[in-house]
Amino acid sequence: MKPIVFTPLLKTSSLLLAVSVLAGCSTLSNDGGASDVSKLTQPRIGFGVTGERTDSDAQASSAQVSKLLAAPLTPDSAVQIALLNNRGLQASLAELGVSEADFVQAGRMRNPGFSFSRMRGGDEVEIERSVMFDLIGLLTIPLRSTIEQGRFEQAKITAASEAVRLAGETRRAYFSAVAAAQTEKFMSQVVTSAEAGAQLAQEQAKVGNWSKLDRAREQAFYAEATTQYARARHAATATREQLARLLGLWGSNVNYKIPDRLPDLPQKPNEPGALEALAMEQRLDIQIAKRDVDATARSLGLTNATGFINVLDAGYANKSTTGAPRENGYEISLELPIFDWGGARRARAKATYMLSVNRTADAAVRARSEVREAYSAYRTTYDVAKHYRDQVVPLRKQISEEVLLRYNGMLASVFELLADSRDQITSVNGAIEAQRDFWIAETELQAAINGSGGAVSQPTVAASSSAPAAEH
Amino acid sequence: MVSRRDLFTGAAALVGAGVVSRVGAASLPEAVIMQSAATQVPPPPPNGRPYNPVVTLNGWSLPWRMNNGVKEFHLVAEPVVREFAPGMKANLWGYNGASPGPTIEVVEGDRVRIFVTNRLPEHTSIHWHGQPLPNGMDGVTGLTQKGIQPGKTMVYEFEAKRPGTFMYHPHADEMVQMAMGMMGFWVTHPKNPNFMKVDRDYVFLLGSYDIEPGSFVPKTSTMLDFNLFTFNSRVFPGIDTMVARQGERVRIRFGNLTMTNHPIHLHGHEFEVTGTDGGWTRPESRWPEVTVDVGVGQMRAIEFVANNPGDWAFHCHKSHHTMNAMGHDVPTMIGVSQRDAAKKISSIIPDYMAMGSTGGSMGEMEMPLPENTLPMMGGQGPFGGVEMGGMFTVMKVRKDQKRGDYSDPGWYKHPAGTLAYEWNGAPPEAVRSTSAGGQSMPGPKPAQNVEFNVRKPSGHSGH
Ligand SMILES: [Cu+2]
Repeated sequence: MKPIVFTPLLKTSSLLLAVSVLAGCSTLSNDGGASDVSKLTQPRIGFGVTGERTDSDAQASSAQVSKLLAAPLTPDSAVQIALLNNRGLQASLAELGVSEADFVQAGRMRNPGFSFSRMRGGDEVEIERSVMFDLIGLLTIPLRSTIEQGRFEQAKITAASEAVRLAGETRRAYFSAVAAAQTEKFMSQVVTSAEAGAQLAQEQAKVGNWSKLDRAREQAFYAEATTQYARARHAATATREQLARLLGLWGSNVNYKIPDRLPDLPQKPNEPGALEALAMEQRLDIQIAKRDVDATARSLGLTNATGFINVLDAGYANKSTTGAPRENGYEISLELPIFDWGGARRARAKATYMLSVNRTADAAVRARSEVREAYSAYRTTYDVAKHYRDQVVPLRKQISEEVLLRYNGMLASVFELLADSRDQITSVNGAIEAQRDFWIAETELQAAINGSGGAVSQPTVAASSSAPAAEH
Repeated sequence: MVSRRDLFTGAAALVGAGVVSRVGAASLPEAVIMQSAATQVPPPPPNGRPYNPVVTLNGWSLPWRMNNGVKEFHLVAEPVVREFAPGMKANLWGYNGASPGPTIEVVEGDRVRIFVTNRLPEHTSIHWHGQPLPNGMDGVTGLTQKGIQPGKTMVYEFEAKRPGTFMYHPHADEMVQMAMGMMGFWVTHPKNPNFMKVDRDYVFLLGSYDIEPGSFVPKTSTMLDFNLFTFNSRVFPGIDTMVARQGERVRIRFGNLTMTNHPIHLHGHEFEVTGTDGGWTRPESRWPEVTVDVGVGQMRAIEFVANNPGDWAFHCHKSHHTMNAMGHDVPTMIGVSQRDAAKKISSIIPDYMAMGSTGGSMGEMEMPLPENTLPMMGGQGPFGGVEMGGMFTVMKVRKDQKRGDYSDPGWYKHPAGTLAYEWNGAPPEAVRSTSAGGQSMPGPKPAQNVEFNVRKPSGHSGH
């Protein structure tokens, strides 16, 4: 964009022409920018977004959601539902519409207006009629348009970024919910085993084979197992609700179905390849930062050219305060260069430009590091889950088979059999947790490459063996 | 060189072993190797002084060669595989292919030279338990000799002075070597073959092992908690039966190399202890018994006239010793109603089957076991499961068993009216005492508030 050539002696006709040209290149789109957002999300999460603008939009969405809910959820169908149904995302898309409207508005001149004032002073009545024409508005149309266009583009990326984040969160919640349900089921088996042990112990004591001590020990285990099971059950509920929130489900839809088990591990983990470079291209926070640099550069040029148009003071001001709607806005004022020829302002613009350049560089460094860390988590969780699948669980199974053989030969007691079955179940739970951690790490890695970075993973020191895993 | 392999009947497992270097071989008697665990009945001696051979239960006697009037034997200490009973083999250490090693039979006054070659990974020695011999031939490493190093051969030479019952075993790292099965029987026959002559003379050693089910090597550091109690490193149903013709005089000699005593018990006959490891018992000091306790490190010879036809149990009377591998920490389940719990257990362990509610008997149940182990009780008799293991076998006395015939005559056919039978009439009225305890110690009245849980037999409902 070239700096605006400011010509105070414009003829009305050319003014009108300029106005009509500007107005022509900024008309409202029919989806409020959602298709542009879809172009951003599609390659990153595999799905576009749809803004619900009309009742029929809403009906179409809800029909599609119902269709998706008919079958047990998959990670993809969960993401699709969230994109269609998550109110937070719809709010961002609506905000996008606001932004677009502002942008379009910025390219239009304020309508000419009449003002009529009647002033009464003493016995004089002065009636002043004037036809007002927004000259400043007219002069700053190109400027405002550029600014608003930038803001609109930012809003689109922000909305896309929101959608990508939502997709990631949904996947995480999905894996957590499936794993927690699986764990709950296994914990119920521990309870069954403990209950059988306690029951036998009671019988043992009743017929005089066992002391109160032995019976109490076996019953204590049952008592503890019951509490663990209660926790596991709550964890299953909590993770399910977390997913329901992200999916925007309520009413009868909260009875959505999830599969019995997590997806299998992939045959092979992905190789690290050029993930960092990919992240530099794909990451939306990097794109936002880059655009910020562009826009600042443009403003810098503008400031350099005009010196006395105060753009940077307010041009990119938008502030959001928690609990209050975001305040967007800009303020352009024209000053007459009588006392200040704009030297300080130019220096400020330059510093602001460097600020955004450094912010971008910082974001890039952070993003690269996040990708490396996310890959490490991805790879480690893959190896651990595979180890559980190929080593720990089969060994546990073998142990159980051998204990059963020993039981058959009266070499081991039924209580050893039960204790072993609990151990085996605990190992299976460890395997479930490992598998869940892998899928979450995979999601985080995608977020680190495509979105704005995932939640920074905390290395897990010890797998929760008996207690159900805390929610992420 | 005299090789007696052709004289053994059915001794297909005998093979010559190339265990000694060619240089040494010229002066060494052949080391005969036996890998079968079947009882090998020895022939009469081919040379030297005559004697009546003994029958080693699930074992054999070592051939010798005469060398200028000296009986030369060759023992090879080596790792062996021993079948404890069909279905279970153990990696042991023994002599000449087997554990225990072959029985050495000599005659009172024989000059004996024994070559001992060591093929074990550590040094060894042999102690000739009970023999009067020169101190330097006593085989105690460190005290009377250096250990026989791996690959080396040492020679023991002495006169078999006293007739009687003996054994041999290492006195080097003996805790390990005996736990691994190194032992053998020794019989010195009297010069006069008619002295205390019997028709059949069985010998065996008592050993105990701790072999975890599913493993193959005994735990050598186990002190008392053994799980396999053996006659000649065999357990029932792997122990051969002993047989006798009705009216024959039978001698059974056994030595104890376990860590506890064993009350050895024969059904259907009274016997007398006619010999210990100290020699023959004077007739006037013999007690009639049906059970004789053989202490650790002791030998006993018992004799009886097999006058009572039938299949008579012969076993150690410690009930755990007539069981094979078993869990020692298995709780008693008698009387425990398992039905509800069993349903729950089956939901998590599909192959589970409740056991023990009516006792420990597994009846005819056959369930898969860990590899290389034996059911706690096994062996089928003519009336079903014998429910024994370990130190248990049968003495079969028959009217028509031929002299010198050691083959199994099959199950005893009971003459009419000599078999326990089921009573189908009305149960006889029980007679109860009303004044138990008598005058001086009147019995306490049973407390009324104690609840007794008497488990009455109720068929096989529990399975
Ligand atoms: Cu015993």
